[in-house]
Amino acid sequence: MPWLIARLVRTGFLTLCLLGAVGSMAQQPTTLVVPQLGEPKTLSPNFASDSLGFAPTSNIYSHLVAIDWGVNKGTGAYGDLAESWSTSPDGKVVTFKLHKAAKWHDGKPVTAADVKFTYDTIIAKKYPAFVVLKNVREVTTPDDHTVVLNLIDPEIGFVPMLAQVSTWTAKIYPKHLWSDQDGFDKGPYVIAPVGSGPFRFVRWEKGGLVELESNKAYFRGPAKVDRLVFRQVTDVNVARAEFDSGRLQFLNYEYAPPLAEIVALRQDPKVRVVFTPSHFSRDIQLNLTRKPLDKLEVRQAIAHAIDREAMNRLAFGGFWKPATHASVESQGDLINRAATFPAFDRAKAEALLDTAGLPRGPGGWRFDISVTNPNCPDCKAMMQVLVQQLRQVGINAKLEQFDQATWFRRQAEKNFDISCYFTRYGPDPDAYREHFMTGGGRNNMSYSNAEFDQLATRAATLPDKAQRRAIYQQLQGMIVRDLPYINLFNEQKTTIIRAGWSGFNTEPEAFDKAITWFGYYSVVPPGK
Amino acid sequence: MHVGLLRFVLLRLLQLVPVTIIVIVINFLLLHLAPGDISTTLAGDNADPAYLAMIRESYGLDRPFHEQLWRYLVQIGSGDMGVSFRSREPVFDEIMLRVPATLLLVGTSLVLSVVVGTSIGTWIARRPGSTLDSGISALAVGLFSIPVFWLGLMLVLLFAVRLQILPAMGMTSVDGPREGIGRVMDVATHMVLPVLALMTVSLGQYVRLARSAVAEVMGESYITTVRAIGFSERTIMMHYALRNALLPVVTVLGLQLGLVLTGAVLTETVFSWPGLGRLIYDAILARDTPVIMGSFIIMSATVAIASLVTDLLYAVIDPRVGLK
Repeated sequence: MPWLIARLVRTGFLTLCLLGAVGSMAQQPTTLVVPQLGEPKTLSPNFASDSLGFAPTSNIYSHLVAIDWGVNKGTGAYGDLAESWSTSPDGKVVTFKLHKAAKWHDGKPVTAADVKFTYDTIIAKKYPAFVVLKNVREVTTPDDHTVVLNLIDPEIGFVPMLAQVSTWTAKIYPKHLWSDQDGFDKGPYVIAPVGSGPFRFVRWEKGGLVELESNKAYFRGPAKVDRLVFRQVTDVNVARAEFDSGRLQFLNYEYAPPLAEIVALRQDPKVRVVFTPSHFSRDIQLNLTRKPLDKLEVRQAIAHAIDREAMNRLAFGGFWKPATHASVESQGDLINRAATFPAFDRAKAEALLDTAGLPRGPGGWRFDISVTNPNCPDCKAMMQVLVQQLRQVGINAKLEQFDQATWFRRQAEKNFDISCYFTRYGPDPDAYREHFMTGGGRNNMSYSNAEFDQLATRAATLPDKAQRRAIYQQLQGMIVRDLPYINLFNEQKTTIIRAGWSGFNTEPEAFDKAITWFGYYSVVPPGK
Repeated sequence: MHVGLLRFVLLRLLQLVPVTIIVIVINFLLLHLAPGDISTTLAGDNADPAYLAMIRESYGLDRPFHEQLWRYLVQIGSGDMGVSFRSREPVFDEIMLRVPATLLLVGTSLVLSVVVGTSIGTWIARRPGSTLDSGISALAVGLFSIPVFWLGLMLVLLFAVRLQILPAMGMTSVDGPREGIGRVMDVATHMVLPVLALMTVSLGQYVRLARSAVAEVMGESYITTVRAIGFSERTIMMHYALRNALLPVVTVLGLQLGLVLTGAVLTETVFSWPGLGRLIYDAILARDTPVIMGSFIIMSATVAIASLVTDLLYAVIDPRVGLK
């Protein structure tokens, strides 16, 4: 008998423990840990570009209009705080209607005055977002939920560009908390932000931990993740080890494993691998002020010497998509499919170089050239292959690598021969101007074509989509003919996600819902 | 005696001033020579030329070199290290936030490797040339040659991934206790792997040092005398031999003490340890000049203080050494 009582007591005790465990599990908040390579410098995103702060602040703050990986579906911009917007026929007045239910984390309503205050401050202080807001003559607020932006010049691409820049440095700040500060870099809310986004700020433990919790009063409905924690994980290998052991639920493209390992990862039923194209490419810029790159035949020869398939295989395990047009796949019908870069043909490359007066010398070399790249792994891998492919046709190419700040400076000073680059084609095709117009901010090649400049300027003001498309296709034809740059690949981001979790911003189901490329609002934990 | 000691310490501390000025000038020059500046980091993707120019102007980066240097020297002279370009927080605060984490990590591993290493080295020096001695000496060289970041990653793989008994990243758990004994235990658990990684490498150094120093001392005639008098082997080792063999150990310890704030960048990177080494590395990449300069000043002060402490220790250990 005693043994029976003992048995019963033990069973009862175990059952209670189990119930307790189940009960506490049911109440346990779902936490998503987002690894980041470093710690944010500040949680006030508007005064300077702090790339490590983009992710936390994009979930704390809201934007007037936002953009995310939905560019792949063709969505240029969608409203965050703005419910809708319209542009006047002359293209100079953009009127936004705001959501009436949006509230700050301290309970006060979000009004047009907050938007006006934010943009006026950015314009007055020339903060980074000034690059797009400089075309705003005046911000007016006819009522509490209407914001009118009066532009200086008509700009068709204004709203998509505003959406893009907003996701970095033009988030909407609460006027009632910031109006007594001189600028966005002072005051208590720099490190303890109050926003109107789907997550509210809880704490920032210096040393690499920012904790956010779901905003239950969010006007679109609370997020399904209860706690969002941004954790500094400085080593890519350690992050991968943590993911493999189940302690991290996903790894974004900063931690993407070498593509050679993707094959094995795809076989694992517990892991999902997601490839997401962007509206950037990976290409090479050719410095037209350097000899012999100033000769068209030399540039054509270089184009013929490039084997994109081989580069894809060697650098990306075959997983990236080569680009043969002066555009990327996400741009859809804007692509001029008839304008293609020269095809891989070594014989032709050699013949062109001979005709250009650059025969192979006694050592087998025609001329020297240096190749460089920004400090990112895919660029590095590609340029290593490019150097070999150029050497095959007798060009004595050497790879030179620098840290990011140095590379950037050298590009700006036009101190390079060939450099890997990340040309942008969206969210609005006006991006071509930045890269190819005479004096364009990213025109490191010193490309100058008066006809191009004229057409591109006109297209920026044309409201008719079909007319714009025709011009941009014409511009692509010019670029492919003149070869100031050679497009190589559509940029692709790799995300690995644990089975059971879904809705990450790089997945199709989250397009146009995630709210910025760094948003975690649409994430669905297992069981919900 | 006390007055002489005080004068000695004061003179050495005074030497810090010219040393710091030289450090500032040389490093300012080096930073200035490196291409690139903070403006491109702050501008991000949209490098609007007007914004870049504005940043350069507001930080005085467009002024000539000697003017920038003079302004900085004056600023330091008034005790102000300035604010970080990236965060606008005072440089001193940013650095001091990270110093405890690094001191904890490097200090602990230093103490452990000195104590354990010297003990092992002394122990095997009793029988120089024996199999045990050769075996452990070879192992010590092996340990000394291991790259610390590789060792760190191997430890992570074994203890954090395979066995899952120790954490792999950071100084605290995400959901850990914020204060009290719970937090101390949390930090301690997180310290095990990084300290083990750092310690293993310098352990080998101290084993070899102590072994050769003690073995040499054991051959001296006064040891034979003391043995003849009848003291126990343990007393001979600890009281007579080790005391005299400590000088080389203290020398190396002094050198490593100087590097205590920056000698762990690789370990801090592998384990995401929020330390000073990593702060300096990030600041250099971003060209955050005030943080870099502030860190260099503190580093040189640390080296100077460490060498002062070493000299004082010499005087304590070896009566032949006098302070001048």
